[in-house]
Amino acid sequence: MESKTMQPTPVQMERENLRRVRFTRPALWVQLVLLACLIAGPLVVPSFRAMDVMTKVMIFAVVAASYDLILGYTGILSLAHVTFFGIGAYSMALVVFHSGQAAWYHIPVAMALAVGISGVLAVALAFFSLRVKAIFFTMMSLALAEFVFILGDQWHDLTMGEDGVSFSLPGIFSVNWSDGTFLGATLNGRLMTYYFILAASVLLFIGLVRFVRSPVGRVLKSVRDNEQRSTALGYKTFHYKVLSNVFGSVVASLAGVLFAMWLGYVNPTSVLGIPVMLNILLMVIIGGMGTLYGSIMGAAFIQVAEAWLPDLQKLTAWLLPHVEVAQRLAERWILYFGILFILVVIFFPKGLVGTARDVIARRKLRLAQRDHQPGL
Amino acid sequence: MASQAPVVQTKDLTIRFGGNVAVNAVNLTVESFTLKAIIGPNGAGKTTLFNLLSGQYKPTSGSIMFKGREVTDLGAADRTRLGVGRSFQLTNIFPSLSVLENVRLALQSKARVGMVFWRNYRSYSELEDRAYELLRQVLMEKRWAVEAKTLTHGEQRKLEIAILLALDPELLLLDEPTAGMSLEEVPAILELIQQIKAARNRTIMLVEHKFDMIMTVSDSIAVLKEGRLICDDSPEAVACNSEVLEAYLGGGVKNG
Repeated sequence: MESKTMQPTPVQMERENLRRVRFTRPALWVQLVLLACLIAGPLVVPSFRAMDVMTKVMIFAVVAASYDLILGYTGILSLAHVTFFGIGAYSMALVVFHSGQAAWYHIPVAMALAVGISGVLAVALAFFSLRVKAIFFTMMSLALAEFVFILGDQWHDLTMGEDGVSFSLPGIFSVNWSDGTFLGATLNGRLMTYYFILAASVLLFIGLVRFVRSPVGRVLKSVRDNEQRSTALGYKTFHYKVLSNVFGSVVASLAGVLFAMWLGYVNPTSVLGIPVMLNILLMVIIGGMGTLYGSIMGAAFIQVAEAWLPDLQKLTAWLLPHVEVAQRLAERWILYFGILFILVVIFFPKGLVGTARDVIARRKLRLAQRDHQPGL
Repeated sequence: MASQAPVVQTKDLTIRFGGNVAVNAVNLTVESFTLKAIIGPNGAGKTTLFNLLSGQYKPTSGSIMFKGREVTDLGAADRTRLGVGRSFQLTNIFPSLSVLENVRLALQSKARVGMVFWRNYRSYSELEDRAYELLRQVLMEKRWAVEAKTLTHGEQRKLEIAILLALDPELLLLDEPTAGMSLEEVPAILELIQQIKAARNRTIMLVEHKFDMIMTVSDSIAVLKEGRLICDDSPEAVACNSEVLEAYLGGGVKNG
């Protein structure tokens, strides 16, 4: 056969080209700059509030990305994602709380508990309801979310009910720990916890990115495109849906552990409530379903808006002390949040990242067509 | 024993949809490395028979043997793994994936690395290279990078055959591979089928309406009418069978 010639095929050439630009891709630089900002942030801006928002953005970016894996990449609408998040948060809080004194090993134990419980629960939920119609899965997940919420609210001996659980972290993560200064910033438990969460979030996010770029991720993509075809290729699509559901749920529970570590306090409303679930859903939609990186934008959008929109009121009172109408308007900050959301959906129908990717792809196509024009 | 067993053997294969018996007590045998055409008027149950063989439908009664092994209760995915490859009457590809990815996914399934979630899918470069090679075989290599939905109808059918070949099946079920194709595109498909048959390592079952095409490529022809197998013989014998002619013309008249 003539196919044994040394001439590389276009596929091989493209692969070689991708390998060559591996370290010079613009996306990589955006990621590194973002990472650098998160590392330098607390040292440059020594404001607790800014650090608080950044931490929540990191944690919720992971939660939203893991939800995107289930919603955007697998095409399943689950309302129990917050449940897995809450299971992680409660694992952390209760392990420390019920042992009395915080110890080092509590963190890995809490993580193992979170992974174990949420893994088993996700498998059970999937096997019980994923085989049937999608709407049935959604309803079952809602029932599970409500059930676990009530459990957190009522099982007083274990969870302290609606009062919630306060706990302290061990060693250098403790709020009492402090050890001099570094680059002008005070080294304290908060800062250490911040960097721990940063490292953990980055690892979890990379795990999610690797998952969608793996053979499994490609099968999930094909299932969304044409499930019957995937089955005819020999893929057991049900197994793939279960796998991605479990993976996403486990990641969410680990993010829950981080969230509890940051707050040092959990209660049912803050980590198990349906409003939190809706926030996660909004983050994915704002960022763009099926993009993963959109989750960072979505989480930032919502966390920043929630943290600073209430300040609108103070700002108005300060700028226009005598204009009552303006102050009344500023009081309704939650309304502006709604308007912002509607604007995003109108102008970025595929989410911020999804729409941006479309625009870039269209431009590339136009450029490629223009380049080919003279040859025709 | 097993090597002598026919590739496909059905026994009293029946499927009922409500009161309608779509396939009725069909006993069909297909020998290794032959090409059997299935013909019959519209609604005779040809596609339903394919759906039963590929596992899309479960039969109401009767059994299916594949290479001497009972597969009646296996689903479509399991039968694909055993070596049953099926093309669909309505083109069935992944429309928003690239042409190369369509074939690569089939190879990935065959290579059994689909459950790997820690490695980048592009690190399996041999799958990509093999996919490109298969596209070359069906004369589609120039279109490897485009989305499959932008292909012409004929190209999509060729892509489908490339996907099928990627699965390396022993049994190819081709459901009207030339349906809806423009006349210029038909010879390429016909040649492709001849090529596959000439390699003598696969068994082909073919549903087709183009009678002259069937007469040239088939080793044997089975005729279905109203779900029943009324004749299964060499092309020459089938062409002279009065019942077949009656069924075919009758069906033709009925369907205008």
